Amino acid sequence: MAVITISRQNGSLGDEIANALASRLGTMVISRKYALENFYGKINPGTLDRLNESAKFFATTPPGSELSYADILTAKLQELASEAKDKDLIILGMGGSVLLSDCPDAIHIRVIASEKTRLNTIARHYHITEDEAVEVLNIAERKHKRFVRTLYGTDITTQEQFDLILNTDRLSVDECVDAICELVRKHDLRIKLAKTNAEAKTIDHQTRTVSFKNATEEEFAKILDMYNIEWLYEPKTFPVEWDAEGNVTMAISPDFYLPKFNLYLELTTMDQKYVTKKNKKMRLVRELYPGTNIRIVYKKDFNELLDRLKMFSGLNDID
Amino acid sequence: MSDLEESMKIERIIYTEEQIKAKVQELGTRITNDFKGKELVVICVMRGALYFFSDLTRAIDLPIKIDTIGFSNIPDTTSKTGIVRITKDVDIDITDKHVLVVEDVIRTGLTTAYITQNLEMKKPADITLCTMLLNPDRILMTIPVKYYGFEINDQWVAGYGIDYEEVGRNLPYIAQIPKAKKD
Repeated sequence: MAVITISRQNGSLGDEIANALASRLGTMVISRKYALENFYGKINPGTLDRLNESAKFFATTPPGSELSYADILTAKLQELASEAKDKDLIILGMGGSVLLSDCPDAIHIRVIASEKTRLNTIARHYHITEDEAVEVLNIAERKHKRFVRTLYGTDITTQEQFDLILNTDRLSVDECVDAICELVRKHDLRIKLAKTNAEAKTIDHQTRTVSFKNATEEEFAKILDMYNIEWLYEPKTFPVEWDAEGNVTMAISPDFYLPKFNLYLELTTMDQKYVTKKNKKMRLVRELYPGTNIRIVYKKDFNELLDRLKMFSGLNDID
Repeated sequence: MSDLEESMKIERIIYTEEQIKAKVQELGTRITNDFKGKELVVICVMRGALYFFSDLTRAIDLPIKIDTIGFSNIPDTTSKTGIVRITKDVDIDITDKHVLVVEDVIRTGLTTAYITQNLEMKKPADITLCTMLLNPDRILMTIPVKYYGFEINDQWVAGYGIDYEEVGRNLPYIAQIPKAKKD
């Protein structure tokens, strides 16, 4: 579950992507319109118009409040993000990437497109000519800059703050949503695993790139791919023995973690008689980290699996 | 020895027709009791579970719906092993239904994991697994097998739906056959 901020250029289809993403994830979009209607209690239509029209008005304070409209907006968005532990949350615009830059669960997306594409989109959307679209785009961008300057006093579109930048010149809304969903899913996995590491005092290796130690591991990864079973390679290390000073003297880094099955697999290419130490480590992991599913794939298991896979040529069943 | 038995080079019968019949009846009764009052869809994993599924569903005394699912290994340009894909998906809607997946044999559980992952995408109420044969020593995946007929070890078997190179499924019992020679 993730907090997704979407920053977009006008006419880049950012709104359409946010709405399609919300529909796919079964959540809602927190947009500026939503914020104005829900963050300030009862608000009279005149104030609502001014907030919609003038960024400067965000610097003023609502009656009876010590905080400005901008401060309230910031506080409410941060509150929503911190409460969104078990659900996805999409924040569209409003400088979400800046406000939530310290939130590890958040993914920051920027949607861009060339001026030509954006003008086309605006012209089609409002049924206006391209010349009129130029004017609409200029006004929208001027307003946006003012809004940002008033609220943050900084540029909120620098590339470094985004995790993913999508260009809709060549990508459809659906393709963008697919990309975001996949990123959200993997990011969520990584964050969850990182949290379990912090809690259990195991060591996080997730930023390592995959570099198999031997051909068996590589072959096993291919078999998992063959069955469309997602895996992470050596994502963590379990310390299992310490010396008197608390230094780790024995540890195990299982070769594979299958998130869907919450299962760690350790492959061994050694003969059975040499695996006693590995078995001991497994036993210690189960004792020291209760609830951890960990299994050894012995050489015999692996060979047996390969033998049966050889039979699986197109039409044969395997198990 | 019949022509079929001879062609399969049967070493010994592990489970006779009578033993299988009694076990299927026992499983059918358990499933009937467990799913009473629930909307149950029983899915046959083709083709190995064909005979087991046929007998088991007739031993379940409930208004069940039945369907089949098939899978195959198709060539893939990016890997030597190819990829496993569903070749015959379930046709009936299993959303919010209780699903019982019927397999012939579960060893590593990789296939079962693949199939249940696919079925889960259709959002059934739950998925329960039933297999005729289970090798508890070789199972890798954390898949909950609620019902199984018999445990087996690493022996190679055929009969009662289980094949060796597509032959031997129509043996009425489960027999041990010689292990395939490695290349």
